[in-house]
Amino acid sequence: MPLDDTTVRVYSIIFVAITAVLIFTARFFHARRSRRSTGQGAAGFERMPGWIGQGIETGRPLHLGFGGAAIGSEKTPIAAAEAEFFYHIIRATQSSDSAPLISTSSAATVPLAQDTIRRAWQGDPQWKQAQWYPQGDRSIAYAAGVSAMMGVDEPAGHVLAGSFGPELALMLNSAEQLGQGTLAVSDQLDGGAVAFAMADEVLIGEQMFSAAAHLSTDTTALADARVSDVWRGLLIIGLSILLLINLSAQLASVSGTLVLAAALGLLVVSALLFRRS
Amino acid sequence: MRRMGIAFSASVAFAVGVLTLISLLLGDHPELYGNVAGAEIWAGLLALPAAVLLRLVTLTVAVTIVIGIVNLLHVHAGRGLRRQFYSIVMIASFAFTMYWYLTRQGDTSLLAAVQVPIESALAALLFLSMAQGGARVMKKRADIWGLLFVTVMVIVLLGTLPLPALAPLREWSDWLMDIPVGAGARAILLGIALGTVVAGVRILLGQDRSYRG
Repeated sequence: MPLDDTTVRVYSIIFVAITAVLIFTARFFHARRSRRSTGQGAAGFERMPGWIGQGIETGRPLHLGFGGAAIGSEKTPIAAAEAEFFYHIIRATQSSDSAPLISTSSAATVPLAQDTIRRAWQGDPQWKQAQWYPQGDRSIAYAAGVSAMMGVDEPAGHVLAGSFGPELALMLNSAEQLGQGTLAVSDQLDGGAVAFAMADEVLIGEQMFSAAAHLSTDTTALADARVSDVWRGLLIIGLSILLLINLSAQLASVSGTLVLAAALGLLVVSALLFRRS
Repeated sequence: MRRMGIAFSASVAFAVGVLTLISLLLGDHPELYGNVAGAEIWAGLLALPAAVLLRLVTLTVAVTIVIGIVNLLHVHAGRGLRRQFYSIVMIASFAFTMYWYLTRQGDTSLLAAVQVPIESALAALLFLSMAQGGARVMKKRADIWGLLFVTVMVIVLLGTLPLPALAPLREWSDWLMDIPVGAGARAILLGIALGTVVAGVRILLGQDRSYRG
């Protein structure tokens, strides 16, 4: 049964309020706790230290791509989350002679890219480090521009994290032919599939929001990732309960107690798996 | 002084973010106020900040295209001075297109004659890149997930062929697309939506790094 608009709005207010409380609570507890690990070796990040090291040794920059993640659109949170991710990558390349290059197909994201370099790079960043290739989602011109840049600037590696469609294939193919490493993640399903098939390292879906937590010693990034984990866990539990209720309604011979026991068992197994991860 | 600046920008971001959120959620919906007197007026007033701020955002985003063009010219002018061929072509094309557009009262035939065919050619190239990438999956991911990816890809591709002999495969292909692929896609989209909400709330509360300096 679909919910009416008023109920949806009330639920939205409650959801946003609880998320805000969770963010502050998680940050409070993580700030009191020392950082457990830097996340080195986490899936998807194995080769990044190699690219950073190669860039430092050879003086080649690292290329970071936002794709179509645009400030001022519904993709603003994605652009902000990737700016945080790029901030930590740039911090890790401080010893290099070349400041990283950031590309975007959204003109509105150019100031965010320049600001990220300014804040993270200790040296004297030049404005040309942030590069705009026109324009918008699934921009073939952006893919062509970045592919050309790969040959000219010869980056040590590419982190393409943001909003990409199938045009990602052109960039990943060019990088492969030039022997440059790639890590890719997209909020679009087709871009994600291309990334899985063609990138050296791949992050899936919501990992794009927790990527910063894997690279930094900043406890706030880890706290924000935990809030997402909490919501995801609650969502899985809710869906599992609904599934069991539906199943018990269809199979009259199965008793309610058995369903409850199965639900509790599922909950315990999920909690154990979550702790182990 | 710097700390004061950070505190000020974070406070402004927090105030504007919360105001916009409240305005979007509670504005223009008098039914949310129950039987409060003047609910219509309050709801109308509350909708105003979001309407004004969102219009301001639209205007600002439209203006940023100028930032993009200046950035593009700045980057390629620097490269052009280092005699990089593609950048010189880019600057020359930009100048010629501007001259064409201004002298021919907004004639966009150059766009149709040059830009569209080039983009179409690149889109065709994209298909080849994807086919090449698909063929290389097992080299990149020689594990169960790579094998699963290739198997599903082959079944779905064969299932789209209009051959009577492949009718059973078509049923498999439809089932794969409707059930496992549909479920996986929804799971990924739900994860992205949750991450977007957390990142969005963090920005609205002025907790993003760009406000913290």
